[in-house]
Amino acid sequence: MQSDKQEAVSGLFSNFGLPFLLVILFIFFSSITDTFLTAANLEGLILSAAISGLLFLGLTWVFTIGEMDVSFVAVAALANMITAGMVIGGYGWPLATFCAIAAAVFVGFFNGFLIAKMRLPSLVTTIATGGMASALAAAIGLGSSMGIEETGYLEVLFDTKIGIISMVVLLTLTIIAACWYVEEKLTLGHYIFSMATNPRAALEAGIPTARITIILCVFSAICSGAAGILLAVQLASGQPSIAQSLFLDGLTAVLLGGTMLKLGKPNILGTMVGVLIIAVLVRGGALLGWSDAAFSTIKGLLLLFGVAVVVWTNKSSSDIR
Amino acid sequence: MHRILSPLMIRVLIFLALVTVICAVFQSITPRYLTAANFRGLLSAMAISGIVAMGLTFVIVLRKFDLSLAGIASLSAMTLGFVLSVTGALVPTILACIAIGLLCGVINGALVGYGRLPDVVTTIAVGSIAYGMAFAYNGGADYSDNFFSSGMVTLNFNTIFGIQIPVFLLLITALITGFFLHATRFGQSFYAAGENPRATFYSGISVQNVMIVGFGIAGALVGVAMLIQISGIGSSRVTAGGQILLPAYTSVYLGAALLGRASIPATLAGSLIMTMLLNGFTLLSIPYYYSDAVVSFILIVAIVLFDPKIVQLLKNPRRFFLTNTAG
Repeated sequence: MQSDKQEAVSGLFSNFGLPFLLVILFIFFSSITDTFLTAANLEGLILSAAISGLLFLGLTWVFTIGEMDVSFVAVAALANMITAGMVIGGYGWPLATFCAIAAAVFVGFFNGFLIAKMRLPSLVTTIATGGMASALAAAIGLGSSMGIEETGYLEVLFDTKIGIISMVVLLTLTIIAACWYVEEKLTLGHYIFSMATNPRAALEAGIPTARITIILCVFSAICSGAAGILLAVQLASGQPSIAQSLFLDGLTAVLLGGTMLKLGKPNILGTMVGVLIIAVLVRGGALLGWSDAAFSTIKGLLLLFGVAVVVWTNKSSSDIR
Repeated sequence: MHRILSPLMIRVLIFLALVTVICAVFQSITPRYLTAANFRGLLSAMAISGIVAMGLTFVIVLRKFDLSLAGIASLSAMTLGFVLSVTGALVPTILACIAIGLLCGVINGALVGYGRLPDVVTTIAVGSIAYGMAFAYNGGADYSDNFFSSGMVTLNFNTIFGIQIPVFLLLITALITGFFLHATRFGQSFYAAGENPRATFYSGISVQNVMIVGFGIAGALVGVAMLIQISGIGSSRVTAGGQILLPAYTSVYLGAALLGRASIPATLAGSLIMTMLLNGFTLLSIPYYYSDAVVSFILIVAIVLFDPKIVQLLKNPRRFFLTNTAG
């Protein structure tokens, strides 16, 4: 009886805690500032949420199967710098974006190969591959950022708008919806969560775990790379340290999102709610004049809180130590 | 079966051969490599990354990760600047800088040990909180008050017993941590807790306390490293910790790959080789971002070499293929 009640409470908390937090924050910032609930602010909020949502989309599944990928910001920076470097070099946008995605695929495959086939520890491996990717990104611009003069075919995505929703946002939403469908309805989604629950059993049941790990790593890198390209278009420049601030955002969104729905397992819907929470927090906080430092502390506390909720409400997984 | 050389001896010889090759290659390119002045510079450069890496060794031996090092470094650097600008005295400044690092590390250890939280996420969170707090001092602006009057800058080049202070700190840290980890009963429990925490718990060792001490040492040594780095720069800044994580992990893993397992001597060996390479690249005036790529590359090679499967392959190729193709 007692445990049933406790489970129901923790289930309620884990399913609706995060959306509730999002609504609270939204109402809080709308009421305390005049400028939060304006079209211009919401447009910026949705756009930045869409780009970071794309950046963390593939990352979510890598974390779901229990691997750590910390190279995602470096991949975004690399794609960003390749795009900028090649456009400035006169190769044109189509070829530049193709090469940027190709580079992202390469890094993702390299990560996946080392993690799945060589069975190396994912955290240290991606620290190293991320280090190489960001070094390469810095090398393209000889250590500094590059401004892009020429506008390309991707500009349309930002300029075409329906109300305050631009094409970029619609495109991202479509991709996210497709991923959610894959996760919930297709066999691949079931495979991913069976690997999350018990990788050994998944392997014994004949699921090609190594191949799935590689596919997920490549997909994660493609998402990061695509976001890097979009940032190049949005900012009209390539910056080697472009996504540094997104590192903590990504981990917070994915791991905080993991506290929602599938207790402790990162999932697409959870990540997106996490992304929105961070976007609202950053936008609203900026209007109140909070410094970057305050954000860093708040995100850290949020992350710690999210993890503590997962671990401490999930008593069944408790262990000595 | 008689062996002329023990496995450890072979590993040490490989390490020495590697050092010789690196020296020979750089010496043939630039004659400035094997000079006394460059050797002193090399040891000073090694002091910062080496001290951080020795702290990290305790965490790696526990089979845990600490990603808060950069945030802790920023916080202790700014604490150092703040206390120095207020008191103007060296001793409280040094104590505060190390104490704040220790405190952050102990919080890490308590959350991971007693709170049962996952190490990676916890240390990322604590690191980002610490990084945010670093900005609370002075609004994130640099501190440079009292650096000359208190003698803070002399920490970087003054000598104790004829040894530069950074190098002296490196040696002292190596001796103390090495003795603690390898020659005391409590130090041995780090390896036990890393191998099998449950068995360690039932043999009467508080694994939680071991975690707190391990993460605490890692944090405190970041504070020590920041003393050297900040005295070298001549002002405290929030970005002080930006470059310490990658070299620290590379030192520990390279050392573990060279000598077979993570230990203080292994970390020193890894740190030495990495610093020798970086020092050589600096002499050849290769831009910093290529050095980062090289450090990352060494890290990957080190993890691959440290991998038990690869070790098995090198030792006994036939058995490796038999066992790995059957399953």
